[in-house]
Amino acid sequence: MVTTRFMELRKRRGLMVALILVTVGIPTVFLAIRLLLHAFAPKTYGPAGGYDIYTALVSGVLYVFGFIVAATLGATAGSADLTEGMFRHLVVTGRSRLALYVARIPAGLAIVVPLVAVGFTIVCAVCVFASPTRLNFNGVNVPVNLSRAGLENWAADHADEVICNFGINISSSSPSASTIPAAINSVPCGNGSGAGPVITKRLPGSQAPPHVSQAQVREAARLIARMDYSDYTRQFLYPSDSLMIKSGLWLELEAVIGFVVGLGLGSLLGQRTVAVILMIVLEVVLTPILSRARIAHLSNLQRAVVGLATAHLAPGGLPVLGGGPGGNAGNPGLLPESTTVAVCVIIAWLVVWSVLGAWRMMTRDA
Amino acid sequence: MTTTTQPTPGKLGADTQWAVETHGLTKRFGENVAVNGVELLVPRGCAFGYLGPNGAGKTTLIRVLLGLTRADAGSMFLLGYSVPRHRATALARVGAIVDEPRFHGHLTGRQNLQILAAAREPAARVRIEPSLERVGILHRADDKVSKYSMGMRQRLGVAACLIGDPQLLILDEPMNGLDPAGMQDMREMILSLVAEGRTVVLSSHLLDEVERTCDAVAIVDRGNVVRQGPISELLAGASLMVQVECSEPHRARTILEGTNIGAHIEVGQIGLGITLPVGTAREVIAEINRVLVHDGISVYRLQEIQASLESWFLQVTSRLGSEE
Repeated sequence: MVTTRFMELRKRRGLMVALILVTVGIPTVFLAIRLLLHAFAPKTYGPAGGYDIYTALVSGVLYVFGFIVAATLGATAGSADLTEGMFRHLVVTGRSRLALYVARIPAGLAIVVPLVAVGFTIVCAVCVFASPTRLNFNGVNVPVNLSRAGLENWAADHADEVICNFGINISSSSPSASTIPAAINSVPCGNGSGAGPVITKRLPGSQAPPHVSQAQVREAARLIARMDYSDYTRQFLYPSDSLMIKSGLWLELEAVIGFVVGLGLGSLLGQRTVAVILMIVLEVVLTPILSRARIAHLSNLQRAVVGLATAHLAPGGLPVLGGGPGGNAGNPGLLPESTTVAVCVIIAWLVVWSVLGAWRMMTRDA
Repeated sequence: MTTTTQPTPGKLGADTQWAVETHGLTKRFGENVAVNGVELLVPRGCAFGYLGPNGAGKTTLIRVLLGLTRADAGSMFLLGYSVPRHRATALARVGAIVDEPRFHGHLTGRQNLQILAAAREPAARVRIEPSLERVGILHRADDKVSKYSMGMRQRLGVAACLIGDPQLLILDEPMNGLDPAGMQDMREMILSLVAEGRTVVLSSHLLDEVERTCDAVAIVDRGNVVRQGPISELLAGASLMVQVECSEPHRARTILEGTNIGAHIEVGQIGLGITLPVGTAREVIAEINRVLVHDGISVYRLQEIQASLESWFLQVTSRLGSEE
């Protein structure tokens, strides 16, 4: 029965084309344009792939559209038999209505999961194989995968670039607090090539630069590199295997939730359009608002929003819901929620909507 | 569902002589009682007509029998199995068309049957091809249903019934949308199904079709079954109609009203239409002739009109002259 339900959904050509366009087409077209632009004007347009593009596409496109696609398919699976008059024929076969409902879940997931996987694979492939060859860290091309000492040595050799571009945060208790500002302020920052005015990077409140030796400048660059090393280690040319695996599973989880909830809602309402609209409103409007708003008396209710729960399960390094990197620790903008609570919320949504959809199907007049 | 009448105990499956058995079956929609304490007995192995005017509750009863909607009271048995208690077992051997047969329009006829076969026993898949062939749409089986005519969807609906190898078929207005040849095919198919030992319940407002196809009927009116039984027996209980062509029809009417035959007499353009009470002996027809001739009326033709199912239907239903 699952096979025939799969066939029934798969044969909806218009729906399938729309779903493929959204899930696979949008990222593919976006990446294809970037590949072409980079191929024809590499100095103007950067590489098509890379870590930043990956995080943008995964958390900004596939995350939202994957959910909507899955919800649309779920709502269709939950309501099509009824609206097209096939439900009556199925009930007359004597097969339990619960079995008829349950058969739709694997059938629909057999479409949604590969669909999201294909879109995600394309994104991964382009982001890895068309990634930049050098790391752009604060506007400076830095070799990748350097150790702390390696980065410090490289910084010493490129002291001017480092001092002018890397982030500087020298506390007064630092042993070099007295000499470093002088070294920094001695480096002229600007176009650096001699053409045009030279801009001097000057720390606030510092006096005119005294004479500083080259060794002091190199030492200052080392110090800055040491301070920025932790940020440097979070910069990648392309996403790591671990991040891609976690992101893929996370996207599939989101798609499964979208399908199961859409199926339940579609079955409950007995029609597709309203169910899809409600799901889109939930994902695109309500979830971002409720995940960031601080409403003291409704915080537990806010935590019950499934989008917030899935955002908390996002792999570290992915910006979700329009904010910083996912997960509790990395995204202070999100309403705090423990992983356990997030998992419970997701399970509750899956169970409650499945029960509601199945109940309506079992009690509905055919 | 509450039981208002206890069914005969100990009858299960093939042991019972009834394909459909209901006792006090009731279904309400708010204040409206669509099915009102229906007592229905459909013998096995026959074509059974279920007749009634629009809104009489025919389709509602079928929907209740098939578990498409819940009954408010009463008990029912399909092929001897109590429904809804043994609904799955009973419906495994039942095929039905309810209202207009609708399918997934984006799928072919064959694919729609594959979906329905998957919900039945594994052997149902093997019956798809023979079923399509039997209803005469095998050549269009791979066309999308959205391109089917109404008549073809009716045939596909019957094919959907047949893939379950049903012992009982419940067909709600199966002649709808069929052309004359299609109706002839459907009639022959129903008769062939009955000849195979299956029971066919035919809900229809096409009385002549029912009369030509069915062995027994039930008449339903305002949610009640008002008559049921073999057609021949039911028609035997109908009023005797006599058509008389004569001179001076108005005087002839006055003469006959002066006798004790107790007939209802109408004057038409060519003579009299006489309706005799149920149970009147045929000798009365000869007596009418004698009386008229004796009083100087010229009788040109005197004909006994066989009661048709339609005339009988109109007699027993409370909606004489309705659109059906």
